[in-house]
Amino acid sequence: MNLPPMILNLRVASPQRRSVHLWLPLFLLWPFALLLGVLALGVALVADGVLLLRGRRFHHYTVLVARSFAALCETRGMVIRFSNEKTAVDMTVQ
Amino acid sequence: MSEDRSRILNLLAGGKITAEEAERLLDAIDASAGAAAAPAGPAIQGDPEPLIAALPKYLYVKVLAANGDNVDVKIPIVLVRSGLKLTSLIPPLAMDKINDTMSEHGMSVDFNNFKPEDIDELVGGLRDMEVNVDAKNGDTVRVYCA
Repeated sequence: MNLPPMILNLRVASPQRRSVHLWLPLFLLWPFALLLGVLALGVALVADGVLLLRGRRFHHYTVLVARSFAALCETRGMVIRFSNEKTAVDMTVQ
Repeated sequence: MSEDRSRILNLLAGGKITAEEAERLLDAIDASAGAAAAPAGPAIQGDPEPLIAALPKYLYVKVLAANGDNVDVKIPIVLVRSGLKLTSLIPPLAMDKINDTMSEHGMSVDFNNFKPEDIDELVGGLRDMEVNVDAKNGDTVRVYCA
C-alpha cells in the first residue's frame, strides 16, 4: 500500500498580484488523522458487529473506512490545474 | 481418431469426395484444433517490468473553454480503481440517494450495478479509452489515459 500524500503543492498566479507558491505539509496532519482513523475503525467494527448479529445484509463499514484510507493514499500524483485570463491555479498532491 | 476425421475418411472410402478434398478438410480440422489449443494471449517471456512500466498510469481530463477557462486534471488510475471499488461499499440508503440525485441531474447511472469483479475490467477498458469533444461554441474536452 502507498503512503498517504505528504505535501500539497499549491501555486496561484495572477498578472495583477505576485504569485503565491505554497508547500502545505500534509504529513503534519497525519498523526491527528491516524487517531481519528483508529477511532473510526473501532466505531465501524462495533457497528458491523451489531449489524451482523441483527442479520443485516450490509455490514461493511470497517472495509469502507479501510478502503477510504487506501483511496486517500492513491491521491499521490494527482494534479489539478485551472487557468483563465485573471488567475492560474496549480495544485499537485505529492 | 476424432469423429470428424473418421467421417472424412469414410466419405473418401465411399468415393463421395476426392483425395484432394479429403486432404483439404483434414488440414482445416488440424488448423482449427491448433487454434483452439493455443493460449488466449501471447506468453510474456523474460522480465515483465518494462511492459508494466509502459501501461498508462494517469487519466487526463483537459477542458479548454472558448471563454478562456482551462481545466487540466491528471488523476492516477489507481485512484480511479479505488474510487470505483468504494462505490460497491456505500451503504444501500446512501446509494439510493446518490442514484436519485444523479438521475435528477440527467445522469441515470445505477451505482448498485458496480460489482467489484467488473471494476478491474472497467479500469482495463479505460486504458484504451479516448474521448474528444469539440463543441460548436469552441469548447473542447479531451479525456484519455497515458
